[in-house]
Amino acid sequence: MSEVKLTAEKRTEFGKGAARRLRRAHKVPAVLYGHGTDPVHLALPGHDTMMALKQSNTLLTLDLGESTQLALPKDIQRHAIKGFIEHVDLLLVRRGEKVTVDVPLHVVGDAANGTLVTSELTTLSIEVEATRIPSSIEVSVEGLEAGARILAGEVALPAGSTLETDPESLVLQVSLPDDEGAGAEAAEGEAGAEAAEAE
Amino acid sequence: MLIPRRVKHRKQHHPSRSGAAKGGTAVTFGEWGLQAIEPAYVTNRQIEAARIAMTRHIKRGGKVWINIYPDRPLTKKPAETRMGSGKGSPEWWIANIKPGRVMFELSFPNEKVAREALTRAMHKLPMKCRIVRREGGEG
Repeated sequence: MSEVKLTAEKRTEFGKGAARRLRRAHKVPAVLYGHGTDPVHLALPGHDTMMALKQSNTLLTLDLGESTQLALPKDIQRHAIKGFIEHVDLLLVRRGEKVTVDVPLHVVGDAANGTLVTSELTTLSIEVEATRIPSSIEVSVEGLEAGARILAGEVALPAGSTLETDPESLVLQVSLPDDEGAGAEAAEGEAGAEAAEAE
Repeated sequence: MLIPRRVKHRKQHHPSRSGAAKGGTAVTFGEWGLQAIEPAYVTNRQIEAARIAMTRHIKRGGKVWINIYPDRPLTKKPAETRMGSGKGSPEWWIANIKPGRVMFELSFPNEKVAREALTRAMHKLPMKCRIVRREGGEG
């Protein structure tokens, strides 16, 4: 995955008033921490940050003026309705350091005719070098018949990475689709379960 | 139809309609989601109608998730009744939906069919909604 360079400024005033002033100036409040260092409060450029964080696990090179730091987004807070980034938590990483990240799974190929591929996991947790995080992991379902299952341990990982997710976890399964009646019954079953939870 | 089996209090005050959703604002289970952009009380009948509209359109080969639950009762006094004499009887079960909440999720391989199914569900709901895609998904 490519590195994105962002120019960051250190924040000197804190609190919701200051954060709102920053957002009005098209900047994003952020915090950088990790490796036992004290947290550093930053202001990032709004548009560039939004573009950089469109993909998950983007490695950011932060230009802090006197120094440059590598960071991975740990948590992104978005506005519930408008979707703009309200705040970013950044995790400090070093070049060559191994990190644990959730990488999206991408299903490729077509299973046998008339079958349904159901994904149970959408991401896999892997340990990989911070500078070599893959943007996605491909899972091929080409020609798989109904009843086939792919477990996390069976997914081909990029070189230099190790699986952190339980290898016995189900990633996807190929099945024959239910007809509508069966689907409705399943939904009713779920409804019953939810009702029980509500109690 | 979704309805709680047992509740602590049969009659409740009307839930607050202000503010935005605090959680459940992202698509988690499926590939597509239906997100509320206005606050509303969604009844169990409306949830069921939306679910039926979606499942009948996708026919086979998809999966639907309902992320909301109508756990709040609303009461109503009978027509032409004088005021007083206590609170009315429970009439509806509603989910208190705030803007940003992803109410339904859908997993279906064909984008056109998925969007049409969600549009049909949208027509059964009492507020403005929009179709959202899972973050980090294709495209």
